[in-house]
Amino acid sequence: MVIRVAGREIALDRPTVAAALVAARVGLRAEVAAQPTWLKAVFAGLTALIAIGAVAAALTVPPGTEVFNTTPAVEWGLLIATYVFLVVTTSGLCLVSSLGMVFGIDRFKPVEMRHVVLALLFLMSGFGVIALELHYPIRLVFGVILSPSPGSPMWWMGTVYGLYLGVLVFELVTNLMGFARLAHIACVISAGVACVAPTTLGLVFGSLVSRPFWQGSIAPIYLIVTAILSGASVLGIVFVLVNRLRLPGHGAEATDVIVGIRRLLVILLGLVIAYMAIRSLAAITIGSAADRAAVEALAIGPLGPVSWIVRIGLGLLAPLALVAWPGRRVAGRVFVASWLIMIGLFVDRLTFVTAGQIAPSTAASGIVSAPYASYVPSLDEIGIVVGAVAAVALVYVLVERFIDLSSPGGPGDVHGLRASLQRTLLRRPVLGLGGSAR
Amino acid sequence: MDARQVAGFSRRHLLKVACALAPGLVGLKLLAPAPDVVAARSGRAPGATDPAASPGSGPATPAAVPAWAFGVDASACIGCGHCVAACKLENHVPPEPEYNRTWVERHVIAEDGTIFIDSPDAGIHGFPPVSTAPGAAAVAVKDSSFVSRLCMQCENPPCVAVCPVGATYRTPEGIVLVDQERCVGCGYCVVACPYGARYLTPDGATTPTGNAGVADKCTWCYHRISQGRVPACVEVCPVEARVFGDLNDAGSPIQKIVNAPGVGLLRPELGTSPRVYYIGLETEVG
Repeated sequence: MVIRVAGREIALDRPTVAAALVAARVGLRAEVAAQPTWLKAVFAGLTALIAIGAVAAALTVPPGTEVFNTTPAVEWGLLIATYVFLVVTTSGLCLVSSLGMVFGIDRFKPVEMRHVVLALLFLMSGFGVIALELHYPIRLVFGVILSPSPGSPMWWMGTVYGLYLGVLVFELVTNLMGFARLAHIACVISAGVACVAPTTLGLVFGSLVSRPFWQGSIAPIYLIVTAILSGASVLGIVFVLVNRLRLPGHGAEATDVIVGIRRLLVILLGLVIAYMAIRSLAAITIGSAADRAAVEALAIGPLGPVSWIVRIGLGLLAPLALVAWPGRRVAGRVFVASWLIMIGLFVDRLTFVTAGQIAPSTAASGIVSAPYASYVPSLDEIGIVVGAVAAVALVYVLVERFIDLSSPGGPGDVHGLRASLQRTLLRRPVLGLGGSAR
Repeated sequence: MDARQVAGFSRRHLLKVACALAPGLVGLKLLAPAPDVVAARSGRAPGATDPAASPGSGPATPAAVPAWAFGVDASACIGCGHCVAACKLENHVPPEPEYNRTWVERHVIAEDGTIFIDSPDAGIHGFPPVSTAPGAAAVAVKDSSFVSRLCMQCENPPCVAVCPVGATYRTPEGIVLVDQERCVGCGYCVVACPYGARYLTPDGATTPTGNAGVADKCTWCYHRISQGRVPACVEVCPVEARVFGDLNDAGSPIQKIVNAPGVGLLRPELGTSPRVYYIGLETEVG
């Protein structure tokens, strides 16, 4: 059997395969030997975390709710919050990237390749988490297509995010293959879908009359703003590391991105803080009893400490102080602020999901929860989240190590497209195959 | 011509077509509603013969669709919990106390007007003399009542609207059912129900369909009322605090509740148009 790869014919007979396996083994050893110790530690640590996630995921099969601490009173818990966090970050990455590719701000153009890889990883990780949360994910895949319910916000969400996955794959492939025109079209489409996707997700929550804390037309807008915040934070972390580790694309180009992200963070943090203040004030003054109860749960109830300290203090105020301060060491401050924002936003997703349920306006399936329903994530739920986040990190580090994710044409020529593939994408050999010595 | 190819249709082509069709066929099979669901959606009683399908029979006469409704007399309920126990038995409801299709709440009004609500084990074993609600033990009680809770079978059910795959639906008689062979277990209907009437079945649950992790809810014992019987909870109630009937039937006991002074609905402001009518409520019930 003969296959064609990149114009080359490769015979898949036994000696060829055996030789390839030997080369792969040798290549793997060479790669491991070439890795600095810190990188080995990173790989080992992330692999261990993924193993924890895999065990936790395996425990959820066959379907059931015993391994999760959700109850009829609090049916949506940590995994739903994690799904929201991951897929909204996907949208944020695309929206930040669109500043360069769609709106023509040169400073953000170098994020194109890295954003699409990250967006794809975050989205697939989100899908993995929601598949474990759903008891019958296969039914959902078929059901959305064969038994559509356009009246359901969740149907729209599933459909749009399914399309989103396709668009991102298309964007990645066209970028890697160097199809400039198609890559640009894909980028524009993904920016559009990136706006629609969190809107549908916001509607999943915002359309429920039974949950006044979630309900409201402003929920989708809040999700879009916080999406850009989380996307910018991820890119902030990545581009500071690009410069620090001298990865492809480091230097003035990456520094420009970091400066742009810093300005973006200042604006977005201000918007989110203002929104939170107005939203809370409105709930307390003119909100329904259930809405008020949810805000009270966040302010002085069981969610108070984590809400004030992590969500607001560490997640919003501290990063705002870091990025707004007009001093030196911008990269370091953006790096720390971005991490804090990501942690704060994760907690924000969790408190958003739980606050809408733990202050119940009715008994649920015979459970009377007064004044608050109880929900503490199980170890299994935490394990799945840890594994999902570690999987994103591990795959991205691998991609970054082996593939050149820089934009060779410079800021004005992101899709000038690696001189039409004259330059190899591989930074180093993968299992003994290909690669340049960059 | 290659013997493996007939009219240009090779084995490879056949495999390609088969691979393309197989997932679709599996999906169709997965999504095909169970016979009882088909019966429910067509308004027939489960197991009843479709008259239109009987060869030789004349044109089917459309039967009048009943307007079923449920009544709860809170002033009559004694909180014995027989209704909860009967429901669990009749409908294979998981035995754990947090899974219930119906339950009984006790609303205690203190002298200062504070309301305490408790429902120990959903009221299945009755109620202790003193409310188990936090802070209720030390207060002077002004009044108290028992309130039966169950699915409202809303005319505008939020649970039906939000289901992404149409697994939750309304029968022509207005009963909201779940096709548990189609339910994906997302829990959206559970959080969407303003009355807390739904839950996801736990692992190992002995549901009628054997599916764990799917939505379950009160159906007003659809399998019974379709055959002219009353729901199990109504049948066992010793004080007739639960009443079931057809609003189209002038002689139905439900008429007494629906036409009683002070009859009310739960959370009518949500626009769900519930079809459980309450009388004798001392407090606002969420």
